[in-house]
Amino acid sequence: MQPKNQITDNPLKNIGYASDDILPDSGFGAVLARAGVGKTSFLVQIALNAMLRHKNVLHISLHDPVNKINLWYKEIFQLLTKKFGVGQARQLWETILPFRFILTMKVDGFSILRLEERLRDLTVQNIFLPRMVIIDGLPFDESIRKTLLDLKALVKDLDAHVWLTARTHRHESPQSDGLPIQMAEVKDLFDTIILLQPEGNNIYINSLKGGATNSHVIILEIDPSTMLIREKT
Amino acid sequence: MENEITKLRNIGISAHIDSGKTTLTERILFYTKRIHAIHDVKGKDGIGATMDSMELEKERGITITSAATFCKWKGHEINIIDTPGHVDFTIEVERALRVLDGAILVLCAVGGVQSQSITVDLQMKRYKVPCIAFVNKCDRSGADPFRVIKQLKEKLGHNAVAMQIPIGLEADLEGIVDLVTMEAVYFDGENGEIIRVEKIPELLLQKAEEQREELIDRASLFSDELTEAILGEKEIDPSLLLDALRKGTLTREITPVFMGSAYKNKGVQPLLDGVNHLLPCPADVENEAHDMNNNGTPVILSSNPEDPDVALAFKLEDGQYGQLTYIRVYQGNLSKGSTVINVRNGKKIKIGRLVRMHADQMEDIDSMPAGYIGAIFGVDCASGDTFVSPEINVSMTSMYVPDPVISLAIVPNDNKSQINMSKALNRFTKEDPTFKSYINEETGETIIEGMGELHLEVYVERMHREYNAQVTTGKPRVAYRETITQMAEFNYTHKKQTGGSGQYGRVAGYMEPCFDEDFIFENKVTRGSIPTQYISSCEKGFKQCMSKGPKLEFPVTGVKVVINDGAAHSVDSSEMAFQAAARGAFKEGYAKAKPIILEPVMKVVVETPTEFQGPVMGSLNQIRGMIVGSQEDGPMSVIEARVPLAEMFGYSTVVRSLTQGKAQFTMEFESYKQVPIQIADELIKKKIEEKDKNKKSK
Repeated sequence: MQPKNQITDNPLKNIGYASDDILPDSGFGAVLARAGVGKTSFLVQIALNAMLRHKNVLHISLHDPVNKINLWYKEIFQLLTKKFGVGQARQLWETILPFRFILTMKVDGFSILRLEERLRDLTVQNIFLPRMVIIDGLPFDESIRKTLLDLKALVKDLDAHVWLTARTHRHESPQSDGLPIQMAEVKDLFDTIILLQPEGNNIYINSLKGGATNSHVIILEIDPSTMLIREKT
Repeated sequence: MENEITKLRNIGISAHIDSGKTTLTERILFYTKRIHAIHDVKGKDGIGATMDSMELEKERGITITSAATFCKWKGHEINIIDTPGHVDFTIEVERALRVLDGAILVLCAVGGVQSQSITVDLQMKRYKVPCIAFVNKCDRSGADPFRVIKQLKEKLGHNAVAMQIPIGLEADLEGIVDLVTMEAVYFDGENGEIIRVEKIPELLLQKAEEQREELIDRASLFSDELTEAILGEKEIDPSLLLDALRKGTLTREITPVFMGSAYKNKGVQPLLDGVNHLLPCPADVENEAHDMNNNGTPVILSSNPEDPDVALAFKLEDGQYGQLTYIRVYQGNLSKGSTVINVRNGKKIKIGRLVRMHADQMEDIDSMPAGYIGAIFGVDCASGDTFVSPEINVSMTSMYVPDPVISLAIVPNDNKSQINMSKALNRFTKEDPTFKSYINEETGETIIEGMGELHLEVYVERMHREYNAQVTTGKPRVAYRETITQMAEFNYTHKKQTGGSGQYGRVAGYMEPCFDEDFIFENKVTRGSIPTQYISSCEKGFKQCMSKGPKLEFPVTGVKVVINDGAAHSVDSSEMAFQAAARGAFKEGYAKAKPIILEPVMKVVVETPTEFQGPVMGSLNQIRGMIVGSQEDGPMSVIEARVPLAEMFGYSTVVRSLTQGKAQFTMEFESYKQVPIQIADELIKKKIEEKDKNKKSK
């Protein structure tokens, strides 16, 4: 039986993200992929890793209800405990659950002001102080730069880092710097940009910014049968 | 009883607490000459309003049960049911709206749309009851009927339109301007009984014209004739306007709003005119039943007195003369001496005594045609039962009964109170489907459940007053559990061999936690060290210990016991001996297996306006709740949490006061979780105190 420690290892360490948290305090990370490739499951694994290290994760979804997000976490946790041979998985799940808070909103109802109100509800009453914030489903439209700047100001006081998902499209070509067009106006705001790249039956994890950006060598991929991060086979 | 159905109105008066429903009803009864003196709800004369006949209602100044009466106004017969405003007594509103054809939604000119306004509005929607609104208390400081109309639109989504504008407001309230007739109406005389009609004051003319234009504009959507008159710039006849408004009101597409002050005797008579003109008669409402001879296919009832009888029992009252059953006749003509069938149980019933109600007084009648509300005596039935003539077999859907939200343990103070309490509980649970009572099998406590603290408080008080049952109430006991957290071995010998037939048995093995079952027993004994015939006795002995845990005598759960060795004596071993050995083995292993106490944890889902999300989350946090997540959907949010059942007592009151009564929550069992150390210590301390107390009493 493998020791529990392996389950708390940073899943991206092999692609140059040495820090357990991957992102610095107040840092921004982006996970880009086409629809259905695995952005949510990817971030859920990052989140579970943080929860296992007893770091509070605020998972904000602009598309899915609380139950669906909860199901993602349960399923991926079960797969992870099976992979790493963790015993007493049920007890472990109960232990880490208080380190997660799910917030769902309709995308057209989302604003930084609204997020600030919700965060205040949580922090002022000491209900939940997040160290990692995931925002899944924020549209990268023409107002995204302002939104991200406001978001940066908001999380600065919390010392929290933020992961965002961004949807790419098949018909869009990357820019000259290799970054998807969604990053055009905002790449400077991100410490880490990761692209999930489907090729045939594989989904490769490609670090475009931060980490080891040697694009010739793909070291990590997503196992399509479990959606777990693994070393490339 | 007159039988012109088009001139009959069955209406309810519903609203938030203290909006003035009972006061309004009192004025209605006075102006229709049903009563000859006005008494205030909690007046100095100590008499109380007519419709609050229960002593408790008079004392507290609240309506607890709905009360029915009837009156006549300008050739129309109006059956009125005055209902409580407290959410605790919501069942009274449910039953009233189930059987009524129209309603007056009373709103406070100061408070506007409040929490129970929202609830009764939902109830009216549920039963598709057309309504008109009455903005009451326009004499109060801060009164603003047009703000209330705006709230009706924004918060309740009504297409609300003013039928009047006030002449003066607050202390200067003098009368109203009727926008249909474009006349000023004043209420003279000691009790506002004399109507004086004058020209509209100059200062209000412009506003009156603007509001009338809006009224006509909105009404025109329901009448081509009115639209033509508008386009042709013709004079709009009041009857044309009222007809259009009536059409819109009957389909619930428009809500005409009246205004005044019932307490100051202003605005009530025009409201009664509104009832006559705008609310439906029984023939305007489509009433559906289910044909039980045809797989429950819906059938529309005819409201024809010549057709077979169909009536619905909607309220029961146990009195000195037996059970009084309030009924609404939907079809046919229920007569004294006729025979009907209770569709639910198939019993034949002969109608003995038929009465019409006026609060707590009754008037004998010979028959009750379709469209009327009355009561029958001495019939054993349940609320929601359908009565039909023998030649048909249809059933009407009963009213919606919400689930209780609060429970209390109740203990009679002495033996006599025990008997009386049982009688009281039998009666109250029969009369009120939202009031439930049962005995908790595990704790042995009698539990009462209801819609709120006030609800239960009233029943406890009624138990005392009406049944002389002295009871003590308390928090219901939580069903804790025990379990083990690690594997532990046991090897226990039960031996009593002091002469004569003895007892001997040795059981060895181990116990470990298991998560999927309460108890698993596995036999791995080899070489017959425990004879086969005694294996089941071992299992029995272990099971006996599971029902009362060694730690704190709570039931044990999640234990797997494996026996793999033992010993028997050729003479002294027996089933009893191995049961005792197993019990001893269990206790031995249990002590080493690090037992813990578990408490039931509930999945609590709170639906609240988003503005109260913060306070609600804070309140859940304070009661050891773990918030799983929060889902925002426009103005409403849904918060999901896991909260120990022990902390949920009284939470309905907390959430109501935090959210002005606008939030609701549901609760269901989720799982058992380990109690925190301080709670475990408290439980241990309590147990020791209980044991000491029992020892001393012996």
